[in-house]
Amino acid sequence: MAPKCYRVGLLFSTSGPYSVVAQSMLNGALLALEQVNAEPEAGVRLEPVMGDPGGVNAEYARLAREMLNDGIRHVVGCYTSSSRKEVIPFFEKHDALLWYPSHYEGFEASANVVYTGAAPNQHILPLTRYLIEEYGKHAFCVGSNYIWAWENNRILRETLLANDGEVIAERYLPVGETDFDPLIEKIVDARPSFVFNTLIGTSAYHFFRTFRAACEKRGIEQAREIPVASCSLSEPELEEIGPDAVDGHLSSSVYFSTIDSAANARFIEAYRARFPAGPTMSADAEATFIAVRLLSDALRSAGSDAIDPVREAVGGAAITAPQGRVSIDRDSRHAYLTPRIGRSNGRARFDIILESSRPVRPDPYLIESAPRYTLVARRPNLRIVS
Amino acid sequence: MNALRLQQNFRGSRAHFVLQDAGASDVLATALKRLGVEVATTSVQTATVSLPELAADRDIVFLDGDVDFSFDPPLFRAGHLPPAPIIGIVGMEAPSRLKGLIHAGATAFLRKPVHTGSVYSALFMGMNGYLRWRDLESRIAARDQRRRGRRSVVKAILLVMDQNGVDDDEAYAVLRRACMKARVSLEDYCESLVGTTQVERIRRLTASAARSGRAK
Repeated sequence: MAPKCYRVGLLFSTSGPYSVVAQSMLNGALLALEQVNAEPEAGVRLEPVMGDPGGVNAEYARLAREMLNDGIRHVVGCYTSSSRKEVIPFFEKHDALLWYPSHYEGFEASANVVYTGAAPNQHILPLTRYLIEEYGKHAFCVGSNYIWAWENNRILRETLLANDGEVIAERYLPVGETDFDPLIEKIVDARPSFVFNTLIGTSAYHFFRTFRAACEKRGIEQAREIPVASCSLSEPELEEIGPDAVDGHLSSSVYFSTIDSAANARFIEAYRARFPAGPTMSADAEATFIAVRLLSDALRSAGSDAIDPVREAVGGAAITAPQGRVSIDRDSRHAYLTPRIGRSNGRARFDIILESSRPVRPDPYLIESAPRYTLVARRPNLRIVS
Repeated sequence: MNALRLQQNFRGSRAHFVLQDAGASDVLATALKRLGVEVATTSVQTATVSLPELAADRDIVFLDGDVDFSFDPPLFRAGHLPPAPIIGIVGMEAPSRLKGLIHAGATAFLRKPVHTGSVYSALFMGMNGYLRWRDLESRIAARDQRRRGRRSVVKAILLVMDQNGVDDDEAYAVLRRACMKARVSLEDYCESLVGTTQVERIRRLTASAARSGRAK
């Protein structure tokens, strides 16, 4: 029997401020899709329908609406949370499924989304614990001005406060901003234990370069004295930073291309052979690869692309991914993933310095770890009264 | 003054459903389970929630505006802080139903059909609106008590002035030092002082204050 053919929307901004990561995500999707189409045992054929919103939220909405109006029921895509929030109403209205393949800040569990990227308990929490133990409790937060940065900074601040630490300052800049000189002055003067970076795309690459240069000028060994830690930094982005400032940055991620496993070696080899021009493999590319593999498995077991049977099939589904075993939690439709911490080296890759011994259950609402009540910064108990 | 601490994690809380029909309960229960909230009781058309057993820090009531909750004795007293936060479920979006929910003490609303994406916001608003209300009530109660006590303070100042020939500022300072030493509020201290009307006691107090003043 000929395999059933389904159209799958691929919604990635291969142009615009975060095009580098988005291109690697599209590559991950295409790689999985072509593998599925080449495997008779996959039992389905997937036909890609691509859209490039150029990093503009209104374009995400327009393209998603077009795809769904055209009868497509499954779309893999979005990178920023703002773009995801923009399109979710359409998926709910059309009762379609968005396969969202990027790490994000949590506090969402839409019935019309399958989340294959890391939830906050799989990226920011392990990173914060590591930073407190290794570097100290005084953070300077720099981020792009949207929900990813706000929410990660909140989680970091609460964890630091609970450990008698502090966030010295939080600074937000528009996505795409590249003028960092006044901000870097402030960071160097404040001398935090570390900088927590939630800048994305071109802003981040500029920041890494300018910060390293400014520190060098002042005789500060940046990577050792004021390291920059991120939850989003990936290999193609290290290449964008360039050789002068590429090494010594910390990143919390469920996937690094340097993971030593047979599944990852096969993945890297296939990716390189298919996309010799790059960009390099990234965690989000792996999450996208996983999303498409899980989608094809679910379509096969459901025998149709109708939402209810596919949703039913994906709950509890598991695959051996490049990062290790990945399965989908039935309740939240988020993924069990394996947190790791890496430090970038001069070859624009990450040396893995910490790794969870097993996949960690997703906790998008942080019900297992967040304090019941919000913490407020402690003021001295005594004050001078006269 | 301490800043009000907002509740953000609802794990371990218990939900009580008072619903018109079972329709909304599945979606709501699924969404609450993800947030770590257990559904403790579900009553359809009747309100079987036992009010005295509710604890504000543990229980949350989901009250359907389409249920007739004008029970005798009343389930909730209009305008009073309910024993636990109430989230109103709005079916008929009519002023009379909304008014009923407001009178019952609802601090957040969920529209029928219940949408999972709104449940965390409703919990967050409902619980923290309730905490703010409770905080304000307790602060108002404390102020009322102090306001009532001002009469005793004035009387006590006059007593000390009269007995010791000091001016009002000195009399107030004496009383203030004494209440801090006794670790009670100024109002409570003055009330007990005036209540006993022990002139001798006031004299002793002033004498000892004068001695400690000279000793400085």
